[in-house]
Amino acid sequence: MGTRKSSIAIGLVFAATLLIVLFGLLYGARTLSIDAVLRVLFAPDGKIESILVWTLRLPRSLAAAVAGSGLAVSGYLLQALTRNPLADPGITGVTAGAVAPIVGCFVLLPWFSSAYYPFVGLAGGLAAAWVTFWVARGGTGRPLHLALAGVSVSLFLGAITIYMLLLAGPQSTALLFWLSGGFAGRTWSHLVHMLPWVGLGVVGALSLHRVIAMFALSDHAAAGMGVQLHFWKPVLLLLGICPVAGVAPVAGPVAFVGLAAPHIARLLRPSGTAFEIALTAAIGALMVTCADFIARTIAIPKELPVGIITALLGGPIFIYLIQRGRVGIKGTTA
Amino acid sequence: MTPVPLGLTRPKPWLLPAVILLVLFSFVAAVLLGVVDIPAADVASVLAGSGSPEARSIILDIRLPRIVTGILAGIQFAVAGLLLQTITRNPLADPSLMGVSQGATLTVTAFLLFTVYIFNPGSNTVAELPIAWLPLAGMVGGIAAGGVIYIMAFRLDLSPLRITLCGIAIGAVLHALAIGLIAGWGSARIEIILEWLSGSLYARTWDHAIFLLPFTIAGLAALPLIYRPLVLLQFDSAVARSFGLSYRKQFSLALLVSCTLAASAVGAVGPIVFVGLMVPHLARFLAGRDFPLVLPLTVVLGAVIVTLGDLIGRLVGQAEEVPIGVVTAIVGVPVLLALVRKAP
Repeated sequence: MGTRKSSIAIGLVFAATLLIVLFGLLYGARTLSIDAVLRVLFAPDGKIESILVWTLRLPRSLAAAVAGSGLAVSGYLLQALTRNPLADPGITGVTAGAVAPIVGCFVLLPWFSSAYYPFVGLAGGLAAAWVTFWVARGGTGRPLHLALAGVSVSLFLGAITIYMLLLAGPQSTALLFWLSGGFAGRTWSHLVHMLPWVGLGVVGALSLHRVIAMFALSDHAAAGMGVQLHFWKPVLLLLGICPVAGVAPVAGPVAFVGLAAPHIARLLRPSGTAFEIALTAAIGALMVTCADFIARTIAIPKELPVGIITALLGGPIFIYLIQRGRVGIKGTTA
Repeated sequence: MTPVPLGLTRPKPWLLPAVILLVLFSFVAAVLLGVVDIPAADVASVLAGSGSPEARSIILDIRLPRIVTGILAGIQFAVAGLLLQTITRNPLADPSLMGVSQGATLTVTAFLLFTVYIFNPGSNTVAELPIAWLPLAGMVGGIAAGGVIYIMAFRLDLSPLRITLCGIAIGAVLHALAIGLIAGWGSARIEIILEWLSGSLYARTWDHAIFLLPFTIAGLAALPLIYRPLVLLQFDSAVARSFGLSYRKQFSLALLVSCTLAASAVGAVGPIVFVGLMVPHLARFLAGRDFPLVLPLTVVLGAVIVTLGDLIGRLVGQAEEVPIGVVTAIVGVPVLLALVRKAP
């Protein structure tokens, strides 16, 4: 795909996301006419339609889009860094590492301000990633071992999280909703809290696309072309974990987006790493806005957690990747 | 057919007394220790048939049923894990890693939520939950997950590690569904289901033990039938075939026994994770590659590990006890990580 076609593809995915956001404004427990939505969109008037659009539906749809692009880029960076097609914030234990200490803070240290949760998530995610990569000896070369190590770390943290839920008592209901991933009741302030972390990951990845492209070859090739591995590896890992640290406190764990979005983007064969990253971000946004739309319209007045929809869609992709031997690419064996 | 030579190592002379001591120690400790202090003499008199009413009710109605339930569930998880590891030739196989536990969890959760919804809309107490049907509900999901493993092994022809990884993905999807069900429809029953979801022996009664017993007996009774094929299934299909076995048939049979054991145990006590992973490794560590010794050792150690794990959970948390599933996860994950790091 040429540069122009790549730009068009990104534009199309972006337009599709906007379309879904617009659909999201129309449908819900109460269906609004397109006239009414357009009217209050440009002239909010404080009436019921305006509140539905501006305080309920728009912020959560945008939050879903931002979270989706962040998780997708996070998956892209982890996959590029490890040259492992199975790497994903969920599979490598990063998500569980971000979620468990946040639950812990919520239950054990209630005085701790939720404004600091992204930092807690970042620390937890980094620690979990460190253990995973240590067990998988760097993560490069043996895709299945990285996945197994990450899953074990996730299981460990998952058990602790469930125990925290038990300790939480009556509060466990709210935590459980958060743990199943979703955007119900997310407001503008949630979006604002999340934005810098996702922005850091996406902008950082885009601006470092040359380094990332060299990492995709091999460590030797990257070193040969003058990339300082000891400096860039931790930087890229940190960049890859930042979006998860931002998204987890807001939306909880949203599974498999980081795994699937980069693969879908690669299927379209964009020209060059920068376009690949941008397309990945756009596809991630589209995936999560779609999942959120399905989650809140499929069983009105009940709402399904978004994490379930993405797990149902992403699980088969994961199995397909393993079955088609994609885990053995670039000279590594499964 | 002459049996294949199996005794690759001589059993160590200290093994039998050590195991007997371990069993006695764990059982005695589990009966003696608890949140309420009961002097050893009183415990002995209760066991002999006398003793004060309070001590009798604590020992006979609280501690013993939970110990016996734990022993039965531990045996079932451990044997299920050994069978899975043997037939998939994968040291990382475990009901909780292959999606079997999660399949059982999902159907039990759905059963708990919707039966209470239909029959007793207003109630949310433990006693009214249909305990008798839980193992059966779990088996539907656990055996369905076993069907998926079968398809992965034969239709998709995946390697052992790939099967494990697919099992993990399937487990993640099923777990997400279960959590979603609870979040969406759990309402007042959330805490009860969470307690069960974390793998717990809390408040288990003689009913639970009695419901598990037939499954334990049936599973152990099936072992002699599948024992010889099992020994051959450790090797690949060509070896099994050269001994005149239908590889696929024996694989399916062992898989069915394994899933039934794990799923019924999940129905009774929730997913106690990693017992099926750890215990066979511990047994092999003690007995070497001597399969006739590994099998009984797995049975005994399964019972011991769950009894001790539950005791630790009871003592550490005191009033707010740590569920056994959390204890086994915390002990089991380092084992799993070590296995992954050691793997070639």
